[in-house]
Amino acid sequence: MMNIARLFGKSPFAPLQNHMQKVALCMKKLSALFESLHKIDGEKIEKLVTELSALEHEADLTKNDIRNHLPRSLFLPIDRAHFLDILSIQDSIADEAEKVGILLTMRSLEKFDDFHEALLALYEKNEKTFLNAKKIIEEIDQLLESSFGGIEAEKVKALVEQTAYMEHEADQMKRRWMRELFNKGDSLSSPAFYLWMRLAEEIGMISHTSERLANRIRMILELK
Amino acid sequence: MEIETVLKILTLLIGFYMAWNIGANDVSNAMGTSVGSGALTLRKAVILAAILEFSGAYFVGANVSETMQHGLIDTSLFLTEPIILILGMCGALLGTGVWLQIASYFGLPVSTTHAIVGAIIGFGWAIGGAQAVQWSETIAIVSSWIISPVIAGILSFIIFSFLQRKILFALDPSEATRKLLPPLVFVVLATFTLSLLFNGLENLQLEISFLTTIVAALVIGSCGGLLTYFLIRRKALPELSPFSRYRPQTVISLEKAMKHLQRVHLASFDQMHDKVGHLLSEVKDLSEELKKETHFAERASDYQAVEKMFVFLQILSACYVAFAHGANDVANAIGPVSAVLDIIDKGRVSELSLIPSWLLAFGGLGIVIGLATWGWRVIETIGKKITELTPTRGFSAEFGAASTILIASKLGMPISTTHCLVGAVLGVGLARGMRAINLTMIRDIILSWVITIPASALMSISAFYLLKTLFLKSA
Repeated sequence: MMNIARLFGKSPFAPLQNHMQKVALCMKKLSALFESLHKIDGEKIEKLVTELSALEHEADLTKNDIRNHLPRSLFLPIDRAHFLDILSIQDSIADEAEKVGILLTMRSLEKFDDFHEALLALYEKNEKTFLNAKKIIEEIDQLLESSFGGIEAEKVKALVEQTAYMEHEADQMKRRWMRELFNKGDSLSSPAFYLWMRLAEEIGMISHTSERLANRIRMILELK
Repeated sequence: MEIETVLKILTLLIGFYMAWNIGANDVSNAMGTSVGSGALTLRKAVILAAILEFSGAYFVGANVSETMQHGLIDTSLFLTEPIILILGMCGALLGTGVWLQIASYFGLPVSTTHAIVGAIIGFGWAIGGAQAVQWSETIAIVSSWIISPVIAGILSFIIFSFLQRKILFALDPSEATRKLLPPLVFVVLATFTLSLLFNGLENLQLEISFLTTIVAALVIGSCGGLLTYFLIRRKALPELSPFSRYRPQTVISLEKAMKHLQRVHLASFDQMHDKVGHLLSEVKDLSEELKKETHFAERASDYQAVEKMFVFLQILSACYVAFAHGANDVANAIGPVSAVLDIIDKGRVSELSLIPSWLLAFGGLGIVIGLATWGWRVIETIGKKITELTPTRGFSAEFGAASTILIASKLGMPISTTHCLVGAVLGVGLARGMRAINLTMIRDIILSWVITIPASALMSISAFYLLKTLFLKSA
């Protein structure tokens, strides 16, 4: 006898949200690192970044696990390509976090006290953007229930626009800081200058990728 | 003991076994989804299924049973040797039973309906030659196997899309459900009554005119609808969100206004551009304020209430499926049995004969016993595995499938309930209602078409020759 139970496949949406939790853990680790940056030494930074790398690796494993369990015969309410895209972008946020961490271990930062506040402010803005994107992913359950439309979709759309705006603000902050860096650059050594610039870029990528994630979700909504 | 009595008892036993099998395995597909979504407890599901399967079998089962008896092979070819037809039908039953056991053991996908049809045609062709098979009827039946899941899918797609637009995409889903529930109940009950009474109840030999059918459908539907309306009114709407003077629709309207203002802003120049810019920022602030006031962010999670209200509809539609299933599948058990008993009683092959009511009841009883002794276990297993068929989706799928099955039963077409359910769920999935559907199931369905018929035909022919040597030698 044919059993109808076989018709229902394993939903990949819960694992997707699970993966986001792992990415969030990476970001939390990075936040902890930034908060204590002014009082810890190189060794401690090294240790924290190793832990961060381990968390990023875990996120990678989860991502591959999801990909392995997404056969072509599984029919989803959204395009399979879109789903894999969302997963990819989500994972790259964890990659960005790791990159930032690794940059911090390259060399002790010159002129730290001058730029410390600006660095922290820039990071916090990017972190907030990420948390907004995370909220969107957490809404996926409700989106599935409402079949990607209705008032739930409007709510998610509002979140997406909010995320986009925050990314814009983060961009502006980055630009302002880079201008400051360029102006004060002569007093820094070349490697130090380059390191600060790279830090600014990589931190900015966090909000940039979060905005990409938000926009990808907007593409699957049914808005009137 | 005379051969005839032996054959009678043998046939009835095998028929009972087939009915038991149906109750043990097939009914689970009808009821399992409701247990999975939590709409019914296992106990209630089994009791409801028992009542409805039996009713379906008893009241509407005759149509398909007749097709099994007369429609597949030309029984007039056996006028000279009725014993051959008797042994053939017995062999068909026996062969099908054996094949079902083998297939279940090896985990192959198999459908009772396809098996028995294949068995009867196989025997007819082998013994009576190609002219023994009623090809036009056979082709019609085979096409119905392919068409019925498609129709079930289309129906379910339409139903769910309708629910989607009216409720899920509505600005106030709970309110929309409250308004929509009574008419929905009306439609379900009316459709059920219509398909039940259309063309009369052959079994009870009740001739019902078309007008009476329509009137009955409208009356029963309206009763249900009105009852639902009053029940819903009495239930206080749970206040999920704190009271606010503004409704979420207002927020959406403001958003729409902003969207249009944005377009104007992009299209205007100089002074106009600045003015609109100011307006836009003011409207944006207003929108933010309003969102805070109506707690827009928290309001969106209204869907739990919607699903709760749909539980009743899902139970109704599950009952509908069980009824339709009984009507269609009881024929698999007692169609051939009826042929055998008829010949033995009359002493010859006759073209016309009605399926005796007691035989339908016998088949229905077999199904119920199968359900009570083994079927409940399978329902429990399926219920545990299927948890994502929420009431809204379950209702859409089940109603579409049940209507298709019942109409097919009325037309005397033996079809597979499971295939229709699969088609229905796929229909809902195409409307973006399901989380993840395993399309390999379609491959299984096609496999069952291809494998089952030759296999059961072979089994049936072998069983016939076995019975022939057993009974005709000793004659």
